[in-house]
Formats: sequence, structure tokens, C-alpha cells
Amino acid sequence: MKLFLLETFKTFSRWRTYISFAVIALIVILTEVVMKLSGDEIVNRMLKPFQRDFFISGNVLNVWLITAFIMNSLHIHIPFLITLVAGDMVSSEATAGTIRFLLIRPPSRIRIITAKYLTALFYTAILVIFFAVLCVCLGLTLFGSGDLIVHHYGQFDVAFIPESEVPVRIFLSFIAAIWAMSVVASIAFLFSTLAENSIGPIIGTMAVVIVFLVLGSLPLDFFRMLKPYFFTTHMINLWQQFLEVPIQWHVIVRSAIVLGIHNICLFLTAMFMFKRKDIKS
Amino acid sequence: MKNIFLCLTLAILLPLLCEAQEDAFRYLEPIEKKYAGLKDYTADVKIHFDMETFKAPDMEAKIYYKFPDKVKVESKRVIFFPKEGGHFNPALFKEKDYEIKLLKALSDAGKNTVRLRLTPKTMKRNLKRLILTIDTDRNIIPEMEVIQFDGRKMKASIEYMTSNGFDLPSHIKLNIDIPSYDTEGVSEFDQWFKKPKGVNGSIEMTYSNYVINSGYRFDFFKRSRPSRKR
Repeated sequence: MKLFLLETFKTFSRWRTYISFAVIALIVILTEVVMKLSGDEIVNRMLKPFQRDFFISGNVLNVWLITAFIMNSLHIHIPFLITLVAGDMVSSEATAGTIRFLLIRPPSRIRIITAKYLTALFYTAILVIFFAVLCVCLGLTLFGSGDLIVHHYGQFDVAFIPESEVPVRIFLSFIAAIWAMSVVASIAFLFSTLAENSIGPIIGTMAVVIVFLVLGSLPLDFFRMLKPYFFTTHMINLWQQFLEVPIQWHVIVRSAIVLGIHNICLFLTAMFMFKRKDIKS
Repeated sequence: MKNIFLCLTLAILLPLLCEAQEDAFRYLEPIEKKYAGLKDYTADVKIHFDMETFKAPDMEAKIYYKFPDKVKVESKRVIFFPKEGGHFNPALFKEKDYEIKLLKALSDAGKNTVRLRLTPKTMKRNLKRLILTIDTDRNIIPEMEVIQFDGRKMKASIEYMTSNGFDLPSHIKLNIDIPSYDTEGVSEFDQWFKKPKGVNGSIEMTYSNYVINSGYRFDFFKRSRPSRKR
């Protein structure tokens, strides 16, 4: 616990840790202000398949729709922001030349790596919580509340989530998002144990995430076949399922387990690599 | 010789056709007269969706209608209200707007009904034709079928109640059959793209608390867009 607190203090003492928070604040504020200014266009585009057949009234463009909309970009920009810190957890010690001092101290390597890993996860959670709080608070101020309309683009398919139910679902989807993003943190952390500088783990993690996201979205049967095995598929599935009607619990459980297994394997590999790390040369 | 024969045929047939139109309109005329005093109404409406691709809880709204064709739907919550067949508009069936043909006259269990086919004279709202079933004893329309050019069909079964001397819908069951719909933006290159299957199901609307002829102004019905603050 003491080690974890020390690592957390170290992490949050670095100014680069706050870059992510600043970037998220910028993205959320810009997106919500632009959506406030061009809301009609967005709603009209979204509801176009229905406007021919239905009169639509009420506060469609509300905080929950905006939050779900911004969350859709979660798998692109948040991973990058997570890698900035998680990819730096161990490699920064090597870069700064402090790894020898760290490893000759009484705490075992396992305790050190576990504390660092927990710090990376803690940072990930705090970042997503910050993202959630900002989205919801600013959204409530700018757009107000209302029912959430979930629409699958290009399809005559719409689901209403009542206003009374949405906050709980959004809360659960953010919890799921933390779990999903922890895999990105784990990958970055593993790479961090392998590298001597921070650039490699950051670029390496982003490369992995982007490659899987791109392969998963290519409209080709071969990749469609492979898509269920990509961790990025489960990352997206996990939080999005909380905004489906009805909630597909089996998909959520399966994705959560798959991501959990990824986390365990990645952490065990990182621990193994860290234990074998040669600090004499 | 041929031209003379053609002219003669037309001269004989045209008055017959006009007569048929006039004859069919005589079923709509009493309805037009019956509702001539209905200038506007408001009502509370509960909406229940039973559509596979439309997962919505029951909704409540207030509907405002003003002669001849102004409609506004208001709700505290987000609401989708069907444009065709979802509300009662007695001014919809003007003789000048349609070619009207009598399809069938029925007399069943003491009830006299006729079925009319209304084909718009000018293209409007993608409407191909309307099939109306008219209860000639009460001069009401218990059934209305809307057929559009793209194959969309909507069939409204309407039950009435009397409010302030007018027979107005108490319950409308709208069966919807949409064989295809706009999928703009979906890439045809996509190997996964499957032509969306048709949408069908029903929407039930239960009306109550009619307030008639309150004298709403036209600007009250200015189109409000779905979005923004309540």
C-alpha cells in the first residue's frame, strides 16, 4: 500500500500526467460547444430515416446523447492519453537512471512492479472518471437531461432509454470503459518494462491499438471472421452494451472476462520480464 | 373514321367517369359536412409501440390540430408520433385533390360500409393512394389505408367516441409495413452490408380529453425542431 501511494504520488507529481486531463477537457469542451451550436444539424442527420414517418419532439439532443456520442471516440483518443503515463511507469526509471536505486531497496521486485501496475490502473480510472464527470456536468449545463435515443446509423432501428434509467446505464458504461481501458494500460505497462525510454512503449501501444481497430473495422469477410478475437472488439463492446435495449448481459460478461484475461496475462508477462530485468549492465 | 370513333367513345365515357367520381364522393360529402364545424382540437394521447426495431416505452403527448392541416405534438419527453394515420384530420379528403372510386359497398350485421379508393390528382407526400372504409350510417371512417409510392403501407383502424358533438378517435391502431428505407451513408462497398430487412409492426394511440375549437392561431403550429432544450 505504501509503495502504491508512493508511486501514485510520483505519477501525479509529474506535469506530463496532467497533459491527458487538459487534452480531455479540451476535447469535451470543444465537442459540446460545437454540438450546442450545430445541434439541429446533428439531430436531423441522426433522425433522418424517421423524420419522413414521424413527428419528433422533445429534447433529443441532451446530455446523455452527447455523452454517448463523445464516448464513441473513447477507443481512439483515451488509449493515447493512457499510454502517456502507463507507458512511462517503468521505462522512466530506466531513462532517469533510478532503476538500480529502486531495485536495490528492500521491497521485492514483485511488490514494486505490482505497485507500479496498480498506479497505472488507478491513473486510467481517474482519467476516465474525469472524462465522465466533465461530459456529464458540462452536458447537463448546456443541454439538459432527457431520454436517450439510441440509433444504429443507417438503419430504421431506434431504442429509447428512459431518463430515469439513463444515469445508471451511463455510470455502468463508464465503469466498463475503465475496465476496457485497463487493457490499454496493461499493454503500455508491459512495453514499459521492456523499454529503456518512454517513446517506444507509447508508440508501440498505440500501434497495437490502431492496428487492431483498423483490422476490426475493415469491411472484409476475412477480418470479420477474426474480429471477435480482437481485444479492441471487446473493449468497444463492453461499454456500448450498457446502452443497448435490452442489455446483452452475456456479451458484457464475456467481454469483461476476455479483457480480464488480457490484463492478467499482460501483467504476469510484465512481472516476469521485470523480474528478469538485468540492471548490472 | 378512327378519330371520329375515338371522339364518340370519349364523349360517351367521360360523363360516365365523372358521374362515377361524383357518385363516390357522395360518401365523403356527409363527412365533410359533419366536421365542417371542427376548426381545431387538442387531445391527450398515449402511444404504445409494438415494433421490433422500435424499442420504446409507452409515451404520452398532447396533440394539437388546426383546420386544414396543421398538427403539433408536444411532450415533456422525447416522442415519435406517426405522421400518416396517427391523428384525425377530417379535411384530408377533398374532392378536388383526389380521383375517387367506389370499390365496394358492404352491409354486414346491420352496418353499412363502403370502400373508396382515393388517388391523388397531384403527387404529394409520396402518397400513391388511400383506401377508406366509411361507415355510411355514422359517417365516420373506421379504416384508412395509406399506400405510398415506395411500397410503404399504413393501415389505421379507428374507434370513435363522441366529444362536444363530434365523433373523434378514441383509439387508433396503426399497422405499419415499410419494405425498404433510406440507408444513406452506408457504404455499398461494405461486404457486411446487407440490404436492411423491412420494418413492420403496429402503433396504438389512445386519445382522451378532447378540447374543441379553442381558436389556436396558425403561428402556434410553427414547426419546432426535435432537439435543444425543452
